[in-house]
Amino acid sequence: MSGEKPLSRFHQPINVPGRRLLHHIGLGFVRKKVVGGGGRAMNTEIPLIPFIDFLLCIVLFLLASFSATGELPVDKNVKLPNAQNAVDMLDAPIVAVSGTHILVDGIPAGSTRAIVDANRLTRVDELHNVLKAKRDLWTQINPGKPFPGNVILQVDRKVPALVVKSVFQTAAFAGYPAVSFMVGRMAADE
Amino acid sequence: MAGIDVGGHGGKRASNHEIPLIPFIDFLLCLVMFLLVTAVWSHMARIEADAKVPGPPREDEQDEPPKDKELHVEMRGENHFQLVWKEGSTVINTIDVPRKPVEVSGDITYPELGKKIESEWKANGAHRAATDKKFDRAVLHTDNSTPFADVIAVLDAIYVPTREFTVGGQTETVPAFHVTFATN
Repeated sequence: MSGEKPLSRFHQPINVPGRRLLHHIGLGFVRKKVVGGGGRAMNTEIPLIPFIDFLLCIVLFLLASFSATGELPVDKNVKLPNAQNAVDMLDAPIVAVSGTHILVDGIPAGSTRAIVDANRLTRVDELHNVLKAKRDLWTQINPGKPFPGNVILQVDRKVPALVVKSVFQTAAFAGYPAVSFMVGRMAADE
Repeated sequence: MAGIDVGGHGGKRASNHEIPLIPFIDFLLCLVMFLLVTAVWSHMARIEADAKVPGPPREDEQDEPPKDKELHVEMRGENHFQLVWKEGSTVINTIDVPRKPVEVSGDITYPELGKKIESEWKANGAHRAATDKKFDRAVLHTDNSTPFADVIAVLDAIYVPTREFTVGGQTETVPAFHVTFATN
């Protein structure tokens, strides 16, 4: 008996029970989770590659729409009206007209009160001179090119039409016949 | 982690390099935050008008330029607008439109005036073809004391009719009228 080789455990008719892993864990459902026999996996992978693709798309979109010039300057004393049938802004001198003063790109260029007091259509000399100087500068910088003559009026909604007409006419006489009024964009279905 | 296997096992250096994804994602998130903070979301737009200022007389200018029909929009009435089609100084037609302001989030609009101007342009507008380089002209007459918000509301109504305009082989939709301010 001592010289015979014992059968391996796989060839024995009755398997000898071996050691059981994680046997010391008491609760049945916890043991199931630890062993991996539960319904769902506990560890989930974040899909990094689609996430990076998504981030790259956002970065590219934001870079494409990035404006280095910043927001259009709106005078704090000017409350703009809104309109539905408006077109996109263009690069042109901005004349801000509030209840008290007139500014060209932030530089004072006349008083609104003077026009109201005069109670008639008035040419604003300061505005005329500033706009004419800007026109001359543009012509010097761009020799041989036709002057576009665009100007944008940023007028407060309460300013009377007399002031608007005066500023409009002054701009036209200073060589800016293409006048636009800055407005807020109102949704078409409102 | 992502890796790049460039093959070869005989060299001294390891040829598999890991791309550090987590710092890369952090960098991208920082970039997104920066761009979002500095983004400019502009809601500004413009309404066009033009000024007919008489220039110096030219030799090649015709003595009497051909007269086009013009739509004069009179907003001085308290209860109604007046649309007047004129050819030079000759009045062709006059239409009264009741003044019915509609307030939209604090702004006044005149939708009825817009509809009437659109139907008038479809019936009487002279420049409606997409290839026509000229535009019909509207002249806005207003009282000196009218607030600017009211003026913009009427200008907005004048810009309701649109037409096709072909320029440089491309067709786009543009306002049918060019608007001038009457300064009298």
